[in-house]
Amino acid sequence: MDLDVDLDISDEDYVIERAKSSLKTDSYEAKAWMITAKTLYPNNFGVQFEAYCIEKNAGHVKEAAKCFSDLIGKFHEKPELWKEIESITTALRAESDNNDTETQFLCEMFKHISTDVQHTLLLLTANHCEDTMEHCRLLLLLLQRFPIAITSYGSRLVDTLISAEKHSHNGSYPLNSYRKLLVCDLLPLLANEFSVKLDLSSKLLYKILNKSIEFYLCSMGFLGRVSQDEVKIENGWEKLFAVVEFLGKQLCWDPYLIAFNNSWSKEGYWQKILTFCQLKQSNIDEKQLVFCLLLFFLYCLDDYISSLTPESSPGQVQTAYVLVETFLDPTLPAPPIETKFKRRRSDADSLYPHISVEKPELKHIINNFFMSTSCWEFLLTSENLHREFTKLCSHLKIDVFLTGFIIDYMIYKGRYEDALPYLQKSNCSACFEQILLIIPLLPANNVGNISTTLIVGGGQRHLHFLPLTQLVVLQYCVKLLLRCVTENMQKHNYNELAIGHALVLTQLDWPQEEEFIPPLMEKIKLHGSFHYPLFQNYIINVDILEELTFLWTNQGGQITLEIIPHLGQRRIGTRGADKGAKEEIKQAIRRQVARSNEKLDELLVKFITHERSQILQVLM
Amino acid sequence: MSVASDINLKQVLRKLEYPVCAKESLTKIGELICGRITSIKNMDLALDLMSEFIFCEVDRRGNKKTNAISPLLELQLLEILFDYFTSATNESAKNTVFLSLFSGTTAVLRAGILSKLVSVAAGIPSPSILVSASTWMQQLGNTSIHSCKLAESLVTDYFALIPGNSRLKTLPEIAPQFVANFLTAVAEIYFMDHKKEPTFPPYNLLETITNFISSNSSLCIAAQQRQALLPPGAIAMEATTPIAGLFRWCILAPLYNQNSELYSQLHLALLDSLLEIPYTNPPKAVCAQHLAAPVRSIMMYFNELKKQNKSLNEIIEDAPLQKSLDRQAQAIQVSLSVRCVYGKVDDLLNHLQVLPYNKLMKIVIHTHKQIK
Repeated sequence: MDLDVDLDISDEDYVIERAKSSLKTDSYEAKAWMITAKTLYPNNFGVQFEAYCIEKNAGHVKEAAKCFSDLIGKFHEKPELWKEIESITTALRAESDNNDTETQFLCEMFKHISTDVQHTLLLLTANHCEDTMEHCRLLLLLLQRFPIAITSYGSRLVDTLISAEKHSHNGSYPLNSYRKLLVCDLLPLLANEFSVKLDLSSKLLYKILNKSIEFYLCSMGFLGRVSQDEVKIENGWEKLFAVVEFLGKQLCWDPYLIAFNNSWSKEGYWQKILTFCQLKQSNIDEKQLVFCLLLFFLYCLDDYISSLTPESSPGQVQTAYVLVETFLDPTLPAPPIETKFKRRRSDADSLYPHISVEKPELKHIINNFFMSTSCWEFLLTSENLHREFTKLCSHLKIDVFLTGFIIDYMIYKGRYEDALPYLQKSNCSACFEQILLIIPLLPANNVGNISTTLIVGGGQRHLHFLPLTQLVVLQYCVKLLLRCVTENMQKHNYNELAIGHALVLTQLDWPQEEEFIPPLMEKIKLHGSFHYPLFQNYIINVDILEELTFLWTNQGGQITLEIIPHLGQRRIGTRGADKGAKEEIKQAIRRQVARSNEKLDELLVKFITHERSQILQVLM
Repeated sequence: MSVASDINLKQVLRKLEYPVCAKESLTKIGELICGRITSIKNMDLALDLMSEFIFCEVDRRGNKKTNAISPLLELQLLEILFDYFTSATNESAKNTVFLSLFSGTTAVLRAGILSKLVSVAAGIPSPSILVSASTWMQQLGNTSIHSCKLAESLVTDYFALIPGNSRLKTLPEIAPQFVANFLTAVAEIYFMDHKKEPTFPPYNLLETITNFISSNSSLCIAAQQRQALLPPGAIAMEATTPIAGLFRWCILAPLYNQNSELYSQLHLALLDSLLEIPYTNPPKAVCAQHLAAPVRSIMMYFNELKKQNKSLNEIIEDAPLQKSLDRQAQAIQVSLSVRCVYGKVDDLLNHLQVLPYNKLMKIVIHTHKQIK
């Protein structure tokens, strides 16, 4: 020990120096010195801070916590202490990935600080913070750790976040960081506190409500695609409902409408809304109804839209479904009534089309569609509701999202004219143009099977959720084209080309389309001859070949078959050649029969794409 | 109760064999001195019963017996006392009987039985007996010769005879008041320079005490925090904390070449304990005079150094001396800063000024003279 230093060193430094120097030899002695120093100079920041540093460097959590508590109580204006406070709050937020020993130490130390001091620390830091985001994060941290502080700081933080968002450079983007903090962290935290009453105007509360809805809709992909680095929110609806429940409570909404609890179901809630509207008092604020209806409608719509592309079993390609008008056969019996919405049938049977799906397990698509439809129609019933709804939709910019549903709805209603603004102009040839556009887009990786549900009996319209697989879409297109061709045929006297095309088109969905054959054969028989230059290329169905051959025989009426190119020119030549021509036709038909196992889908794709001008001719 | 019935009672008891008579009289004693109305006469009778039927110190005529109670009877007596005190539910009554069995006048005579009883109670452990023993130490003075004797015999039983010290590990939680009083008494046994050759605490005792206090910073003031339940009319004595006494060990250790790190640790534990003392007005945890106790020993050491013809600088730079003074100064500083020192603080500070030079001491004295 060197006593000569006495003269050069201040008392404070001497005591601290002794503490430090004994640290190497005897940690107990060092601590004894430290205690002495701290009690000797309780108001000397240097001494107190040094004591803290010594404890910290020695890894003494409890002691460091104690020193730190003393410091923050007395010296919170000192810059050195501020640096330390900042490290602590940084450490607290990084707690989840704490590989760093310093971070670990500081978090551990924070736990040993009394809650009062913890509270003070976070509040001081937040208020000291110049960066608004940082300030908000710290206040949030404070509220998370000390729910008791919510009453004092909850409303203020909401306010700060709203105005920070307004002034931030990307404040209009719904997924900005302030919004996320408000909607994903703060509001759920507040909602957890049962009795919290925010000190905010109802105007501001509605603003928050709008922002929350916008945020969640956007994060769930309602408002355009969410980019990869954006927040992916799990259970978005659940969280949104929780936020609405909380805000609704703040706005004194009817608790009946905002009880989105565990036993919540779509059907139950829908009944709730209907009852609410029946019983509601005239003086009730209709805004709550609009918000709840809008949310519920969007929820149902989301369900509907996602059910249109069901999860595929592992290893299988996902198939999407689209609602299309499909085909009827009035000669067949009407399908049994089995949807929940059967009561509609009784009033005006033919008004409501029959909707079918590929397989029974897809029936929920229909239910989801009907639920969305009910909501949609309900929103249109009252002028007031409709006005408010339109206002909200345009504010939330979800119009685009609604388009798909509106088209489906119009198709369901048979209001094609109304659906047209959303679609392209359509007539027979335009339909064919569309088909030509569809053919190259057919999903080669999702072949599927020929559908057996595209035609139902009965007289009412038939809608179907069409699976977007290669075969079914082609099947649908071919059936559509077949009907276009045959319909257009009525305009003309006798169009051999159209009859030939029709025969080609019936082959894919055979024997479903067999019904088309007898009238066509009748026409040929009446005319006495059938000239179809594409015969050798596309007609391979044995039944059709048989029918034609029969017409050509003596019993069948001996009609002329001009199915081999240039044969006719030779026939005009000499009568002796007639016999040879007959033989040639026989040969030709045999060749076609031999091809009857060829793949029909490929044949028809080829037909549609290669013979487009020929097909267009008969659609004019 | 008449004289006749007193005699009857004694005669009935005399017909009983030992230890049944001891057991019976213990019950009677309880009734006599804890009843609602107690008289001098009852007290006397109780004392008679104790010496004749319990401790067998006198015969039926009141003559002192020359031969002490046999070891076998002693064992039986211990069992009876143990059962009696562990089964008693009323703490005040239990303490009253305990205090009269081992009163100031009889304690020396019965010290053997007492220390064995307490030793058993500490080993079992029996909190009930330890509470009474603690009260007893406190009422007779926990630094009194009686308490020191008891402490000494416990040290013998648990630290000299049994090398390990795990038996008492949990004692501070079970009987904190007793442990505090025991520590105060035990502190008075060692490092006493008025004895010809001062003795030092055995290592395992020192280790145990250090662990006790390090892990429980309110242990030292435990006896002050809970008032003992005493017989009606008795004046409660304030317990002296072991703080000053144990500080003396730490301060003097370097001077006697006792260089175990445990002293350093104990010293720190005591400082920590001081910091935990709740503020009271007036202060009561540490007596100024007790804090000054080591000064005499330090001066003795200093004078010894002077006799060795060393220069004053050499003497002042003597490491053990400075270490001792550092600890003394730290003890004073922290005690004064938490305002737990009662008695004449000015005298204490003046007294400290006679000590050889030490920078910290100078700072401490200066600081506290300034505060005045």
